[in-house]
Amino acid sequence: MPTVILMDVSLSMTRPVSLDGIEEFQRKNLAVHGLNMLFEHMASNYRLEFTALMAFSSLWELLVPFTRDYNALQEALSSLEDYDKTCVESALNGVNNLVQQEWGSACPCQLVLVTDGSLGIGKGSLRHSLQTLKHRGDDKKFPLPFPFPTKLFIMCVANAEELQMTDAMDNLEELLRLSGGDGQIFTMDGPLCMKSVQGMFGRLIDYAYSPFHAVLHCGNLSSDVQVFPRPEPVVMDEEVEPMPRTVSADLEIVGFIEIADISSPPVISRHLVLPIAPNKDVDEVGTGATDELEEEPSASQMAGKSPNFCVLLHGSLKVEGMVALVQLGPEWYGMLYSQADSKKKSNLMMSLFEPGPEPLPWLGKISYLGPISEAAENPYGEDDSKSPFPLQPQVKRSYAQNVTVWIKASGLQTDVQKILRNARKLPDKTQTFYKELNRLRKAALAFGFWELLKGVADLLERECTMLPDSAHPDAAFQLSHAAQQLKLASTGDSQYAAFDHNIVPMHTDFSS
Amino acid sequence: MKMFSVAHKTVFVVDHCPYMAESSRQQVECDVLTKSRAQGVIPLAPVSKSLWTCAVECSMEYCRILYDIYPKDKLVNYIVSDSEFHILNSWRREDQSTHELMSALAAVGPPNPREDPECCSILHGLVAAVESLCKITELQHERRTALMDTAERVANRGRIICLTNAKSDTHVRMLEDCIQETILDQNKLAAGSDRLMAIQQCELVLVHIYPQGEDTLVSDRPKKEISPLLTSEVHSVRAGRHLATKLNILVQQHFDLTSTTITNIPMKEEQHANTSANYDVELLHHRDAHLEFFKSGDLHMAGTSTRENGLKETVTLKWCTPRTNTIELYYCTGAYRISPTDVNSRPSSCLTNFLLNGRSVLLEQPRKSGSKVISHMLSSHGGEIFLHVLNSNRSTLEDPPSISEGCGGRVTDYRITDFGEFMRENRLTPVSESTHDPSGKLPAERAKAQLERHTRYWPMIISQTTIFNMQAVVPLANLIVKETLTEEDVLTCQKTVYNLVDMERKNDPLPISTVGSRGKGPKRDEQYRIMWNELETLVKTHAGATDRHQRVLDCIIACRSKPPEEEERKKRGRKREEREDRTEKNGNKETDDKSWQESERSVGLKGLLDKEDQESEVIKDSPDSPEPLNKKPRLTTEEVQPPERAKGPVSLLTMWTNRITAANSRKHQEFVGRASSVNNKFELYQHLKDENGMDVHENGKASR
Repeated sequence: MPTVILMDVSLSMTRPVSLDGIEEFQRKNLAVHGLNMLFEHMASNYRLEFTALMAFSSLWELLVPFTRDYNALQEALSSLEDYDKTCVESALNGVNNLVQQEWGSACPCQLVLVTDGSLGIGKGSLRHSLQTLKHRGDDKKFPLPFPFPTKLFIMCVANAEELQMTDAMDNLEELLRLSGGDGQIFTMDGPLCMKSVQGMFGRLIDYAYSPFHAVLHCGNLSSDVQVFPRPEPVVMDEEVEPMPRTVSADLEIVGFIEIADISSPPVISRHLVLPIAPNKDVDEVGTGATDELEEEPSASQMAGKSPNFCVLLHGSLKVEGMVALVQLGPEWYGMLYSQADSKKKSNLMMSLFEPGPEPLPWLGKISYLGPISEAAENPYGEDDSKSPFPLQPQVKRSYAQNVTVWIKASGLQTDVQKILRNARKLPDKTQTFYKELNRLRKAALAFGFWELLKGVADLLERECTMLPDSAHPDAAFQLSHAAQQLKLASTGDSQYAAFDHNIVPMHTDFSS
Repeated sequence: MKMFSVAHKTVFVVDHCPYMAESSRQQVECDVLTKSRAQGVIPLAPVSKSLWTCAVECSMEYCRILYDIYPKDKLVNYIVSDSEFHILNSWRREDQSTHELMSALAAVGPPNPREDPECCSILHGLVAAVESLCKITELQHERRTALMDTAERVANRGRIICLTNAKSDTHVRMLEDCIQETILDQNKLAAGSDRLMAIQQCELVLVHIYPQGEDTLVSDRPKKEISPLLTSEVHSVRAGRHLATKLNILVQQHFDLTSTTITNIPMKEEQHANTSANYDVELLHHRDAHLEFFKSGDLHMAGTSTRENGLKETVTLKWCTPRTNTIELYYCTGAYRISPTDVNSRPSSCLTNFLLNGRSVLLEQPRKSGSKVISHMLSSHGGEIFLHVLNSNRSTLEDPPSISEGCGGRVTDYRITDFGEFMRENRLTPVSESTHDPSGKLPAERAKAQLERHTRYWPMIISQTTIFNMQAVVPLANLIVKETLTEEDVLTCQKTVYNLVDMERKNDPLPISTVGSRGKGPKRDEQYRIMWNELETLVKTHAGATDRHQRVLDCIIACRSKPPEEEERKKRGRKREEREDRTEKNGNKETDDKSWQESERSVGLKGLLDKEDQESEVIKDSPDSPEPLNKKPRLTTEEVQPPERAKGPVSLLTMWTNRITAANSRKHQEFVGRASSVNNKFELYQHLKDENGMDVHENGKASR
């Protein structure tokens, strides 16, 4: 989930923070300190996250486009300049464009808005934006909610009391609500100082940027893994099941399926599954990073040399062209597979299916998938020539059965012509003739279209009179028999108009 | 869409009163004469559908699309109304198919024009519809049971689609009032019943049908709220084509559908088989398949066009001729069932048959910029066609570190092929719910249990295992993981063991890995010891399962015991080699597989102890009886030869070492032990023996 950092560089951010005795700080310095801490954390624990840095006042400027280069982000922070007033709305428009251009409108994004809670004055201020919300044309709509799923984190370099003295807090809460409600407003506890800003960003890190660790199990084989990006909780039906579902920290493989059988299933998200060394404690906050850096090369080299189940699994999945079905929680499943990024690099990936007992109709209920050893005979055949998948639905879809639709005149005409065409080729086409005739009869009865039955009976009688002399004598018998049967059906007489009744060919014997 | 939105239950109420037998006055020419036959033949008079026929076939089309796209849990209850109501099906899942409905409709037949119009009314049907909405569906029942104390979360909403010929706007209002009253009455009834649910929301869609060429007596009216429980809308439509279009629009609105037109489908001409023309086919599906489209606002610029009456929009996607069938796992963000708008037209059936035969088609989305992007895929799974949405945006997971750079990435001898075989054995297959014993474990749990059994002993790399590199062990290794063994299985396992004994007697080489050890690796008898230990480890993890498993273990333990002198000789060799092993290990700092080594060793040691127990109990009188625990000191000399006496030519290293040793020895006084050694061996700690009279049978290090 990419992150956009939206940094307030208005003049109010330069307000000094009164600290007794020591060196004087601006709020901006505190904000920069907090962001540096966030970037350091991400560089060591969340380094695959793409992050962009945008500064705004009445205008906005993209300082660093989406990158994983956290040094570049920190560098940009160190050279921030000060500008005029805060204008959140235009900056949000900027974020909207930036994200959609880069990731489209389906990719969920995190927006970290760093501000001091003084949200501008007059036109362009957040207060003004929110007040005029309902009086806008389609061309000047407020940018929230974004078209893409958003998590909005508002980092206020101010404490809650200060924000509540004005309407700033109310406006920020309204902003969060407008963005869809997913996210949080963070304020500083106690006096404004380096320590409290660290505390605030520490809470953000815990909330949104702590790596997701899990154990991947395959029977007794297992591996500690990091799942990136973090799987987000999912709400399937707010009414029936309002509690969000979360991915369990134990990922249990249920069994294996061929890629052809799982056949490009729809997934709600995709994640890298990265093996981690079991004994290496991952530093959550990033303190003491210097010690770790020195040790890291040898530690990671060691880890590289000890066998890891993920690597084995990945290799075999890749070679065999299979996926592993993995259980993520109660009635929630996903699949593990090898994903090649380019020709050289490939990775173990996990895709999450929609929660539920039967995410893929062609597999049926996952809990009813059992080991092949229990089947009477191998459902894949001795030479892997067949497969128990896909499951066939009990009822065929309309396009897979020969349905009759006469909404367009052409549909009706085609069906009548088909009968006449076969009628002219009797007795060779006796079977097809009656099949088509019965199909038309059934539909006409269901639709209460008795007039059509009479009409087709007339047509068949006419065909009978027009038979050439060379025609087989059976043709005339069959045509008049069919016509007579249709006429009887058109009376609605229950003996002849039963839906399940079929007109059978007249029994004739011309062989002797 | 919520699980229990109004779309969960739809009641069709179709008017079966005498006036519905009236002609729609839309005529269909069904006798199309070809030119060659036209002479002298009087064409058949065109037929025309009655209002009833129009209503029935359009409602069936609505149901066809609905069932194609929502085969489960979007339910239809079909009611016809004349002098009384006739309920043609129930909410039950097995009643939900167009075939069922058509059969029931055939039994009802067209309205009887001679029936007394005074006795007939649509009201009978509408009252029955409200009653029907109160009846609980299977899904509602299942969810209520599953939710237990939060059962009130299961809502009861529904929609009534009434196809009738109303007399006037006042008549319509009367119908609405009647429904409102019936809802209130029924809700009171439902409050006291288990099988009924009160209606929380009801949507009435009243479609007034009138013949072509007549003026309507009922005016259109958009949705309005009659009460908090009931909303109502009125559509006044001419029978025939217009009615069909209206119901097509309604089914899309009611079930969040949208339309996609696949363009540029190459299709062979019926008449000229060698030419092909391009066709378009329109499909309906859930609108989420174009979610991103709608959101990004790209829609009106490129892919869409407004058709016919300006009411319907369709997204255009272009057919991409499929490559030969490569199996690929696409990143697909959604898959939605489709239904062709014009199901039995030739282009539609050509497309659907192509897909049903197992081919997939990628679809291209024209974009504003003119660039082209593959955005969707049509594919069938088990006779159902799905429109897959493919991700066409930049991936946030691009350029990840390769798996070879991470943990375990530098290890090169993973048992990839063996694990592939393991995966094939642990493939899954659907188990029918009817054959499943409800008291037993679910099939997926049994699959996990099988994985557990199969992985009790499963070394991940080739150099960690001997037995899994041996063809001879395969029959036993395959059988021992089974939950239960047959007598025959036990026999096969025993045969495998005997076979191994035979190999050992013949001194056949073993595929012991030499990775990580210098030189040729361990000696042959040491190799067999390792192999037996490993086999025992494998079987031991399963021995507790059944008596037959235990018998396989017993067999191994019994067979691996050796005649005393052979055993003794081996032990000596082993001790030495073990030591070598250990020093090598330390030298290489190979701590990575230490855990395995340790577990292997401890099991091996335990195995030895067990074996000795076993032997003392079982094979006491056998000539193979075990050597005594107290072993004599071995000071025999034939075993180890000093390097200079080794057979064969002397290596440069040996010559050099000898020279240096000789040179060095001149520079210091020789150790007492070495000086007074017998055959280069000297017994250490001799005083200990004197002190407590114990045999000390170890004095190895002197040899090196």
